[in-house]
Amino acid sequence: MGSGGNDPFTPEGFGGCVKGGEGMSEGNVQEGFGVFEVFVQKTQADFHTHVGSVVAPSPDVALMNARENFLRRDLGVNLWVVPRQCVTATPYDSEGDWFAREFDRKYREAGGYPENGRLWKMYKEKVLQLEEIVEDLHGKGDKNNESASS
Amino acid sequence: MNREEKETRFIERIKAGMKIEATDWMPDTYRKLLLKLIHMHGISEIMGALPEKEWVPKAPTLKRKLAIMAKVQDEMGHGQLLLRVAEDLAEPFGRTREDLVADVIHGRVKFHNVFHMEAPTWADAGVIGWLVDGAAIINQAALLHTSYGPYARVLKRICAEESFHMQHGESIILALAGGTDAQRKMLQDSLNRWWESLLFFFGPMEVTESAQQMIDYGIRTKTNEELRQQFFSKYVPRIRSLGLTIPDPNLSYNETTKRWSWTLPDWEKFRKIVRDNQGPKSQERLNLRRFAHEEQAWVREAMIRSRLKGSVVV
Ligand SMILES: [Fe+2]
Ligand SMILES: [Fe+2]
Repeated sequence: MGSGGNDPFTPEGFGGCVKGGEGMSEGNVQEGFGVFEVFVQKTQADFHTHVGSVVAPSPDVALMNARENFLRRDLGVNLWVVPRQCVTATPYDSEGDWFAREFDRKYREAGGYPENGRLWKMYKEKVLQLEEIVEDLHGKGDKNNESASS
Repeated sequence: MNREEKETRFIERIKAGMKIEATDWMPDTYRKLLLKLIHMHGISEIMGALPEKEWVPKAPTLKRKLAIMAKVQDEMGHGQLLLRVAEDLAEPFGRTREDLVADVIHGRVKFHNVFHMEAPTWADAGVIGWLVDGAAIINQAALLHTSYGPYARVLKRICAEESFHMQHGESIILALAGGTDAQRKMLQDSLNRWWESLLFFFGPMEVTESAQQMIDYGIRTKTNEELRQQFFSKYVPRIRSLGLTIPDPNLSYNETTKRWSWTLPDWEKFRKIVRDNQGPKSQERLNLRRFAHEEQAWVREAMIRSRLKGSVVV
């Protein structure tokens, strides 16, 4: 963190990610505490995952609070804390759904081709699955490829 | 959309099983009911750590000490997670963590009756983990389907940790139940001490106006009595299997109605304990909370000041 009169925590500062007074509550600005969203990376084979938020007077303390709140049992190799007002998010309930699915997207998915199995049968063969390849290369239950094969 | 249309849309979303989020529009009554519920829940977690904390220095073995310390830490953690949810709800009222925490010291928020009571023996540490947490788990598990997303998510984490609290409590009471006559008597005395408090914990029989509103808004999905009945079904057979006697001669299960009948304790006595903080340990524990909060004020201030100067942690 920088020093020299430039408090990154004020509405003017804070790493430059303040959007029109949103995010940090008025009261918390007065009190000098802010909300930090917490992301945990379980292993280096995983991405950081959002787990919740903490209130803290600084990013450093937010990291400590995050460890105490979210890693008392769970393992982690890395933690991110992000000032809430630095997060840009889609709305939950708005005109025009952000996540609208106008038509069936089965054609994008592995499960969208169920006839392959039946067709292979004619050649006395069966469908090749990614899991099988990963298993051959790395053995069963390989952590690094859990997401790739699911 | 005008107010009425917004309200209709809001109810539609809840009826459709959709979750409400902190940034969504919500009716004032919804916000206030949720805030009151979660504020009390969060503060009760913190006050609830105090009876057990008394047993940290006196735990019989090192393993027991570590375990009960971990549980006390969990309860404090639950308090923090829940206050985080409450703060976001309280934001339009200009209220912060500091206010929500100070409220209990000034009698502006209540905490659950069970945490006003004494825990004089090691058996109480066990019975708290077994039955008080047991009752709390039934409550919290029922809330997992709450319409408010942030509460539901936090409850998921809390319930996962409660599964340890269940085993922890059972481990203590099973050791006592299989112990000497003196240990079994200690356990029976503790059960006698806690039974009525446990019944009161689930709240009144009747569905109050605000309870009905919470059900209509999908904040809660079950009534007090439904949850108390579940508590009986899960715990009465286990309590009896240990050879313990439940201090209610009228407690019985009706096979046809599939319901337990039970004796109503002196409700007014318990109501006073919660409302006026007049339980045997209310004032002592509130004083401890006040002491901790006020004596640490300088630390909170120092952290803000040191932030202005640079990094707190190297
Ligand atoms: Fe808890
Ligand atoms: Fe618990």
